[in-house]
Amino acid sequence: MNQELQFKTIVAQYCEVKPEDMTNDMRFREDLGFSSLDFMSFLGELEDTFDIELEEENALEVVSIAQALELLDKLQQEG
Amino acid sequence: MREYYPLTAAQKMHHNWILDYNTQQVSGVSVVASLKAALDFGLLKKCIQLEFERYGCMRIRFTKPDKNGEVKQYIVEKETRDIPLKDLSGMSLAEADNLMQQWAYETFDGHDIPLCDVTMVKLAEGYNGFFLHMDHRLIDSCGLVVMINDLMQLYTHYRFGSEYPKDLADFEMVLEKDLKKAGNEKRAAKDKKFWDDQLDALGEPLYSDIQGPSVLEEARERHGDKNLRAADIELKNLFVAVKDYVLEPEPTRNLIAFCMNHQLSMTNLLLLGIRTYLSKVNNGQEDITIENFISRRSTHDEWTSGGSRTIMFPCRTVIPPEMEFLAAAYEIQNVQNRIYMHSNYDPALIMEEMRKRYHTPEHTTYESCYLTYQPMPVKMDNPQLENIAQHSKWFANGAATKKMYLTVSHTEHGGMNFSYHYQTAHLEEHDMELLYYYMMRILFKGIAEPDMTIGEIMEQI
Repeated sequence: MNQELQFKTIVAQYCEVKPEDMTNDMRFREDLGFSSLDFMSFLGELEDTFDIELEEENALEVVSIAQALELLDKLQQEG
Repeated sequence: MREYYPLTAAQKMHHNWILDYNTQQVSGVSVVASLKAALDFGLLKKCIQLEFERYGCMRIRFTKPDKNGEVKQYIVEKETRDIPLKDLSGMSLAEADNLMQQWAYETFDGHDIPLCDVTMVKLAEGYNGFFLHMDHRLIDSCGLVVMINDLMQLYTHYRFGSEYPKDLADFEMVLEKDLKKAGNEKRAAKDKKFWDDQLDALGEPLYSDIQGPSVLEEARERHGDKNLRAADIELKNLFVAVKDYVLEPEPTRNLIAFCMNHQLSMTNLLLLGIRTYLSKVNNGQEDITIENFISRRSTHDEWTSGGSRTIMFPCRTVIPPEMEFLAAAYEIQNVQNRIYMHSNYDPALIMEEMRKRYHTPEHTTYESCYLTYQPMPVKMDNPQLENIAQHSKWFANGAATKKMYLTVSHTEHGGMNFSYHYQTAHLEEHDMELLYYYMMRILFKGIAEPDMTIGEIMEQI
């Protein structure tokens, strides 16, 4: 499974949208219905799955799937 | 072979209350769900028995404490007990509620025993349904709502041929995942650092009481410590009274609109209302802590696995009087978002750290108010039952571990219900009247003029 699909499979556990129907411009709160708690739990799951460390400030600025994927790439390159 | 598991942090929270208060009553949760319709009780009984199979958390049992006092949980494969039917149709709905309230006070005493009772009930005015009485270590209120809906979907499937309910997540599998997550040392270290950093930055919290500063002053005298910042917990007289207030649909819509327009969650707005009241009655105290319950249900599996996932964390904010209402709401939201990120942590460890740092005396607390905001109504969400009147009611367990515990939920008619559970040892209904009255004044003043400062609001209301 490629990373983007793995990422979207995790997102799908928190919402009603299937990974294959997700587009990268979708926003977590407005389009996927994440609550604040959902989003924060999701970030924790990302950290565990991809072995990354999210800075809270950066993480809270993430609005869309594209931004999250971009941050994930950046953190993996740095790590 | 049967697996034995340790308790999760949420289960431990209830378990520790049972030990501290020396009664299982503090861990009871009860609800009646009924429909104004003739029910086939034979079929309902079969559906309840099937629900025991589907919803693994209903079959949890706890072992006898070992020599270190540690208790483990396990899930029995089958529950074979009968589901009784009680005919309460000869009494009014209010009288039946009073009787069921008595049932809610009953305790589950012992180890290796079932901790879940279901009774089918015939009620007045043609209502029929079932009464559920469980131990909170097995389930929280969200879990109960999911169970009630699943049960009624089973019933309407067999009775009317509607779609069979979707599979529920396996409780044991989700429990294993939770315990694995809790055992992640790297994550636990990050969570600990978050809570420790808060204490490093703000120091020891300061108690604030609904009744004003005299409560802390009395605790200081009792402990012979004029610098004490925590107040005593009532351990003996746990009797709780409940006072409900309903906010009408129109003002409720205004609160919701304010939250939506400013991307705020209702929980944070309510926390601001309570903390501003506490600040007002405690001579403008800026450092206020409120315990806020969160239900750790985010994924599909977490939503449908049942279990006790609700846990409380201290929401501590320092808000000066010159801060504007909206900025204060964002400040709370900011704190809460960070708490959510670290909500896998065991809150008992936060208290343990405070006791270590500040030598907080045993059986004292920094908080007098506890909040639960429940976005889910207890309503059977089933198209087959859409046009049928329902009667549902939560029953207090009658033994409060908390001085004041506010549950805010949405009503079927678009309003909001503010249910204040308060220890009668120290509080009266009038205290709740004042709290509700001022909370509403604060919130509606604030949403009408969000750039007004907290100090101005406290002065004007």
